Amino acid sequence: MQQIFDDIRGDFRYDHELNGCLNCGICTATCPSAQFYDYSPREIVQLLWTENVEQIYDAMQEKIWACAQCMTCAARCPFKNSPGGLVAIMREVAIKHEMQSAKDVLRPFGRVMLKLITTGNQLSPDMIQPDHFPDWGPNIQKVEGDLRILRKAIPVKTLQTVETAWEVSLKTSVEMYTIWEMTGVLKSLELMDENLFDVIEDFIDEKREDYEDWLEEQEEEDDE
Amino acid sequence: MSEQTPGNHNQNGEGAGAGTMKPGFHNTDGQGIAGHGSFFQATDLSKEDAIKATDWVRKHVDRRTVDLGDRMDDVREHMYELEKDGQIIIHRIEDQHEPISVNTLFGWEKKVPTKQLWHHKSCGQCGNIPGYPTSLLWFMNKFGFEPGKDYLDETDQTSCTAWNYHGSGIGNVESLAAVFLRNFHQSYVSGKQHGHELGHFFPLVHCGTSFGNYKEIRKYLVESAELREKVTKILGKLGRLVDGKLVIPEEIIHYSEWVHVMRNRIASELQTIDVSNIRTTSHVACHYYKMVHEDAVYDPSVLGGNRTAIITSTAQALGAQVIDYSTWYDCCGFGFRHIISEREFTRSFTMDRKIRVAREEANADVMLANDTGCVTTMDKNQWIGKAHNQNFQIPIMAEVQFAALACGADPFKIVQLQWHASPCEDLVEKMGISWDEAKKTFQEYLKEVEAGNIEYLYNPELAYGGKV
Repeated sequence: MQQIFDDIRGDFRYDHELNGCLNCGICTATCPSAQFYDYSPREIVQLLWTENVEQIYDAMQEKIWACAQCMTCAARCPFKNSPGGLVAIMREVAIKHEMQSAKDVLRPFGRVMLKLITTGNQLSPDMIQPDHFPDWGPNIQKVEGDLRILRKAIPVKTLQTVETAWEVSLKTSVEMYTIWEMTGVLKSLELMDENLFDVIEDFIDEKREDYEDWLEEQEEEDDE
Repeated sequence: MSEQTPGNHNQNGEGAGAGTMKPGFHNTDGQGIAGHGSFFQATDLSKEDAIKATDWVRKHVDRRTVDLGDRMDDVREHMYELEKDGQIIIHRIEDQHEPISVNTLFGWEKKVPTKQLWHHKSCGQCGNIPGYPTSLLWFMNKFGFEPGKDYLDETDQTSCTAWNYHGSGIGNVESLAAVFLRNFHQSYVSGKQHGHELGHFFPLVHCGTSFGNYKEIRKYLVESAELREKVTKILGKLGRLVDGKLVIPEEIIHYSEWVHVMRNRIASELQTIDVSNIRTTSHVACHYYKMVHEDAVYDPSVLGGNRTAIITSTAQALGAQVIDYSTWYDCCGFGFRHIISEREFTRSFTMDRKIRVAREEANADVMLANDTGCVTTMDKNQWIGKAHNQNFQIPIMAEVQFAALACGADPFKIVQLQWHASPCEDLVEKMGISWDEAKKTFQEYLKEVEAGNIEYLYNPELAYGGKV
């Protein structure tokens, strides 16, 4: 428990995000999540400010995931605290410590993470379909037609894609994987969802092979 | 007039002097309102004095004045020092970018380049609301910008990855910084393959979250030598250092800032439709002006400088009616993770706090925004409201889409309103454009697309590094 608090406090952003707290509550007054959840940015700041280790741990079991990360709290705070920024640090630490709350919350988010890590885009047209979002209604597009053709009708070449928001070159994707690996993001993902990690690793291996082939082809062309 | 003056409460209370409160002095005499002690007494000001006092408060307290002085270090000053020390290279905004200066919340001057722009796309906009980038590129063409010289849209870029980070916590400062530097290095060198000098194209960030995230990360990079050292290793491995140094742009520029500085040219040179009968409300993205808020653009001529100028300034320039509403400061309810897995929060917040208020208080014809998450949230969640007798509807789009409509752009081919779930039809008709005609034309065009006859805003080969 103490280690979790030490990890939060050890983040180099901590001193930026927490400067003091008068308990004035202006952050909570304008917080969207405070209106719908048992969540208060004021409480988060107070727990950290008073170093209430046990309750910090409790808050990380559920509450921190309610934050909408809009940063309204940060813009309002007279002390220049950023409760939303502190929550971001706490979420990272929850992942690092393999907390169940993080695993539970991230499961439905897996599709976005898969898309992001394998394509370099986070959202794609094939995700925004009525089957996936029944509450968005039957007319989430105003024109009937095949998605592929509708995308081709966008007069920008890079956007004429269905599985990615825009076309990302192979080299760019491979560079992205290097960043994920070198910064420990893939390792974090493995801690959270091993199955998703395995699927992603297969994608990465395949793309890296494709890239190697492409490089070889380029060299051969240059030699000719 | 009463003798009561501000800071002089309860002069007659035992033990209480001017502006002080007796310890343990609570509401025991039945005076005061719940939550306040009896030391709160009616001021008994005359109407004129009350107005005078309120005006004083508004002027000094309630107003987000443009010039707040030296409250915070200007990150750019530190960047210039790092550059002088030979630690980084600043991708500068030069005269060739034809910048226009604006003021930020803290009164700092920010140069907004108007030309030679590298379009840093938004995964949300491109995947979901493609009318943002198409309207923006359409405007650039309308101003006679030459693709490949005055702007570039290419495949060599990724998302900033911040949506995932804010939604899931998967990611970290190092990964966000490496992605930022990778993408902006590409912007710095992208002109080379088209025969231009390094730094020819300056990045124009389409997404509000990318804009906020990049600015936050830039601050951390400038401040932390340790972070710079870590990401230098990564960028080195990727071959994305210049002379062994990191490249950081002088300014982070959001597309709506470009629209803001171009608004008068848009209105005077391109506008073809009178929109003075259109009631507009604005929703500015939280990550535009609440994150790194010192850098957001304010203008005293737009709502007295009390709110960020973005979006409202464009509606004003086009001659539309600008209507305010009480929940202007609220977020849209997107929540990053919430829109995927806690949709009840997202749709309740957007319907109760935004759509209903904009409809009831402002009777708005349209709500204009400048970020994907906001448009997605407020656009897509209206249908389900009917299940709760929340029959409030309002078209939602970006200000650049609205501006394009006002300048005669095709609602389908260019503004791409076919992807919106909100009721755009009435707005378009009110602007004097026939929705049915435009739809018919577009459906005919889809047959052409199927046959391979596709219209482009620029030579598609440019996206792959090909020549103009």
